[in-house]
Amino acid sequence: MTSFVPILAAVVPALPLAGALLPLLARTPNGADRLGLAVAFPTAAAALWLAVIALARGGQPALHGHWYLVDGASGVLLAVTGVVGLCSAVVSPAYLRAHRHGSSSARDSRSWYYSALLLFWAALLAVPIAGNLAVVWLLVEATTAASALLVAFSGVREALEAGWKYLVLTTLGLSVALLGIVVLAVNQARAGRHGLSALDWHALQDAAHALPASATLVAFVLLLAGLATKIGWAPVHNWLPDAHSEAPAPISAMLSAALLPSVLLVAWRVKETLEPSVGAATTHAVFIGFGLASILVAVPFLWRALPWKRLLAYSSLEHMGVIALGIGFGTPLAIAGVVVHIAGHALAKSLGFYAALPLLRHDPAAASRAPGGVVNASPSTAAAMGVSLVALAGLPPSPLFLSELLILLGGIAAGYALVSAIAVIGLALGFLGLLHALIEGVVGEGTPRLRGLPRAPERSIVALTAILGTALLALAATGLLLPGSSFVETLARGVL
Amino acid sequence: MSSVLVNSMLALALGVIVVRRRSVAIVLVGAQSLALSIGALQLSSGRSGGFLLAAFVLLSKAVVLPALLYALMRRTREARLVVAASGPLVRLAGAGALALFAVAVVPPLGLGNTHIEHAAVALVLIGIAIVVARRPAFFQLLGLIVAENGLSLLAVSVPGGLSYVIELGALFDLALVVTVAAAFAQRIHSELGTGDTELLRALRD
Repeated sequence: MTSFVPILAAVVPALPLAGALLPLLARTPNGADRLGLAVAFPTAAAALWLAVIALARGGQPALHGHWYLVDGASGVLLAVTGVVGLCSAVVSPAYLRAHRHGSSSARDSRSWYYSALLLFWAALLAVPIAGNLAVVWLLVEATTAASALLVAFSGVREALEAGWKYLVLTTLGLSVALLGIVVLAVNQARAGRHGLSALDWHALQDAAHALPASATLVAFVLLLAGLATKIGWAPVHNWLPDAHSEAPAPISAMLSAALLPSVLLVAWRVKETLEPSVGAATTHAVFIGFGLASILVAVPFLWRALPWKRLLAYSSLEHMGVIALGIGFGTPLAIAGVVVHIAGHALAKSLGFYAALPLLRHDPAAASRAPGGVVNASPSTAAAMGVSLVALAGLPPSPLFLSELLILLGGIAAGYALVSAIAVIGLALGFLGLLHALIEGVVGEGTPRLRGLPRAPERSIVALTAILGTALLALAATGLLLPGSSFVETLARGVL
Repeated sequence: MSSVLVNSMLALALGVIVVRRRSVAIVLVGAQSLALSIGALQLSSGRSGGFLLAAFVLLSKAVVLPALLYALMRRTREARLVVAASGPLVRLAGAGALALFAVAVVPPLGLGNTHIEHAAVALVLIGIAIVVARRPAFFQLLGLIVAENGLSLLAVSVPGGLSYVIELGALFDLALVVTVAAAFAQRIHSELGTGDTELLRALRD
């Protein structure tokens, strides 16, 4: 199986990259839908195939060649990005049918949408398998260009504001990260290691202990500060709620469930690479600091009556904080929690955003105010929102309950009892906030504002709820097997 | 790279935060990119052919970007100049103080040339300051380019040269981002009738 890895690693991002041209050839809006889906299915299949190979290797060392690196973490992110990308492509026709496309024709609008989606997806799939820090930076920057256009797709003033803010802030953040990369390249060159290969993950890790500590620390801080803007960690998260709430729902799902954790994996690899020079205490402190800040900043917003997608965006801030904490703790227990959390968050959050499609289609005002009593008008939409909220809140049997428990226990095992205690308080408050949203907005007695929904959108959201809900339960069961596994032990030793 | 070129890059960046007219700012950013490419060409003797290629691409950037920006300016005419949130001297003092502070706290980066290290860090921070301090989307776009020129200054000064693959890739990404940002700036202008991003403040919690 591993002999396929170099081919698959090339095919996985190449399929959507080349396929991005296909929707532009469509003659009708429905043709664009079909061509978009025709690319999406083989892309997801290839990504899942590579993910299975990576995950099946368990605790064996990473596979790497001249330009790729495939390890357990790559496997998790490939699976997540493959599934979420496919689901987003599948639900996109429902969004596009309801979208008013301004001056451009429906066909042009849809063709353009699918091309940007596929380019965004291609860059996302390449990030976890690229074997070089500089190449990863280029790919992350490419995600910005493609997704900024998608964020502003609706063309309304708020979407323009969100897209512009996202483009400018994340580009500035990535400029700071690039400064860190150049500092690393400078010091590699002074040690006689030139060229692109000097910035390979493994080359950097091998050389890190010999790099000057102060310059490497500067590079680490610049890289983490820059990547933090793209991950949406507090306090540099300003673009996140706006972009997630204004983007088309399928794109919001990709931003939250795939983009944020993919860039977080880059930060994780940077930590593992530079730790021999910077010191474990510093790298752990930076991750724990971002993690706690993100959880604590998110909590007050989870208590407010926010529009549905905006609430989910602040929940993303909280969950990226939880993952940062787990990586910062770094124990095998915490890393098992990180793996479950990345996958569980992706499934639950994408379902939440997909539920926004029927919600907003028939109650557009719900884009600017909190929903109320959705169950009275659309039980199926309410069920999707409920499953998503229950899972995101970490209510058993949600896999996020297990993952948060593992991360906190891992923190205590690593000697971070106080940090874990603060995190418990933050997560408990966040849990209550989401429970409040569930009671008031979804199953409460609020005034029914939704008109009756036609059957077709309900059928699709019912199917998605069943599939993603089942996947969440399966993940919770699988997660129980992770602690103590060789897969997690290897990840805890380093994601390289 | 000569000190005159490096200092002129700094002065031109500070000019962008001060000037009112977009046409003048385009000239300043173009001149800054030109100074960078001349400096890269000076360094190219004794280096790989790839580095020379990267230096010529930088030179073409100094020509192509101002042309693109000029076309954007023509398509987004402002009825009147956007009123600045603060005066030019306040903006200049703020950006200067930020750059000096960073230069004071950032330790040696390993280049062995503190002047270029300080100038590169200062340019990135002045670029960020331009984005923060200037309200028009057009000027914010120029801020991104100024910051990128700071990064390129450090990159071309790496002993033996940074991989030209990285430099060309970064330039390609910059071109992509600038194109997308230009499309945004045009959409913002057609939506608001001005490029003043201060009017884009609907999203609040």
